[in-house]
Amino acid sequence: MDLSAEVLALIGVGVLLTSLFLQSESFVDPLIDGIALQSLLLGVLLGWLAWTEHSVDLAFLAGLTVVVRAIVIPYVLRRQIRAFRWRIREVHAANRVTGHALAAVAAAIVAWFVFQQTLATVFPQTGGALPFILLVQGLLMLATRSNTLVQVMGYLEEENAIVYAGALFASGFPLFVEVVVFLDVLGVVLVGVILSIQRDVTGSPEEVVLEELSG
Amino acid sequence: MEPTQQVVNVLQAATVLLLSPLLAGVLARAKAWTESRTGPSVFQPYFDLAKYLRKETLLPDGASRVFIVAPLVAFGTYLLISIVVPIITPYPIPYASSVDFLGGGLLFGLAGAVTLLAALDSGSNYTALGASRTVSFAAFGEPTLIVVFFAVALITGTNNPYVTNNLLSSSTSAYLAPTHLLVTAAFFLLLLAEIGRLPVESAGLMEFGMLEDGRQFEHSGRLLGILRWNGWMKQFLLCSVFLNVFAAPWGMIAQPTVLGALVNVGVLFGKQLVLVAGLVAIEATVAKVRLFKIRDYLALAFSLAILSVFAFAVLGAP
Repeated sequence: MDLSAEVLALIGVGVLLTSLFLQSESFVDPLIDGIALQSLLLGVLLGWLAWTEHSVDLAFLAGLTVVVRAIVIPYVLRRQIRAFRWRIREVHAANRVTGHALAAVAAAIVAWFVFQQTLATVFPQTGGALPFILLVQGLLMLATRSNTLVQVMGYLEEENAIVYAGALFASGFPLFVEVVVFLDVLGVVLVGVILSIQRDVTGSPEEVVLEELSG
Repeated sequence: MEPTQQVVNVLQAATVLLLSPLLAGVLARAKAWTESRTGPSVFQPYFDLAKYLRKETLLPDGASRVFIVAPLVAFGTYLLISIVVPIITPYPIPYASSVDFLGGGLLFGLAGAVTLLAALDSGSNYTALGASRTVSFAAFGEPTLIVVFFAVALITGTNNPYVTNNLLSSSTSAYLAPTHLLVTAAFFLLLLAEIGRLPVESAGLMEFGMLEDGRQFEHSGRLLGILRWNGWMKQFLLCSVFLNVFAAPWGMIAQPTVLGALVNVGVLFGKQLVLVAGLVAIEATVAKVRLFKIRDYLALAFSLAILSVFAFAVLGAP
């Protein structure tokens, strides 16, 4: 493995480790730190690609990733936490650390297996399965968590996976497509935050139903 | 067997036997410094050992021969391990070929199992509690160890620790491969659990977090001295394996001479002092996890070990 591939592999495994951390953490504050770190790693990866491929587009994208995903979005999410302290922890998540960590590893293995069976021939790059695995990790987070902010982070992880895939497979990809992804993420975060505020103010009929069913 | 090799063999066993209490003493002293205490002398474990060996041995009512023999069997087992794993030589010494990683793991398991038998044989509730706790957590720790062996075997294509040492010390790309970094992290977490350091166990908390010490409550005198010595040897051996096979495989003199081996003793102890600094920094910064949260800690180690094998599959050979 040459130096460039080795650096990409190391950063890729770092991204994978942050996704494992996100799965096993039940407090929201460290989750925001985790998603910021994951985005920062992605920014470093894009920066490395920009350096090796002498691409201005990728360098711009790296800067955008760091600013928007590692700084602005975590800042918005932190403000939400400060406004609603009860969101600091997901209810009943304390005893599920082991289960979540092992489920994340199992999901990663299944995702890799599926990638090998389907996309491996199309994307033969070293570590080409990593974005796909990250996508499945984000999906798992969305499926297993009930806190809105944590679900937003699951979505962010999925978007990170798309940017990661774009960086690895679509070298020279038009920049505006990537920018659309960023605006998309920003939009989802804002809509998620507004909806959650609205629910806190007006209440939700579903909640009443759920409370009735909870016994 | 060449005479030089015989001498190196004896020197390696003597290193483990004689320097293991010193490592424990240095660790205790360094930990005391971080707590603004002067702490005991670094030679305190030797004084303790001398005291234990002079004291009378008392046997609990109903204890069988297992209670007496088990600490000695464990002592012999650790001594055997000390002549088959890379400690002061980067080249295999005569008995090394008889055991690979898996064999070393089995020998550690044998020593742990006979110590457990001795704890159960005493008939005391306290030692039984210590034994059952140890087994409960070992059940989570052992799979991690097996997966670590798999990962090491994947990196080098063999299960021989000497080959791993040579490959890692000569190839930067193998050392920086994600598989190796992850497996090193997993083994380090396991090391902390096995040698009873924070966040898994605190020797200062004798009642609640007791795992290793809990098994020794009924032993006294010489047998207790040997059990303590076993603990120090286990710590020394695991730290040596961690340093020489995983984290810092460099620096040892490869010439198969007695002088080279003697220099390597100094090199090893220097590396261990750096590891002690790391261990003390961890002890000063993390809190002990609750007993039932140790399972989460070991799950993390297991996840890292699985990921190391997984990284090999996804990213290919270094």
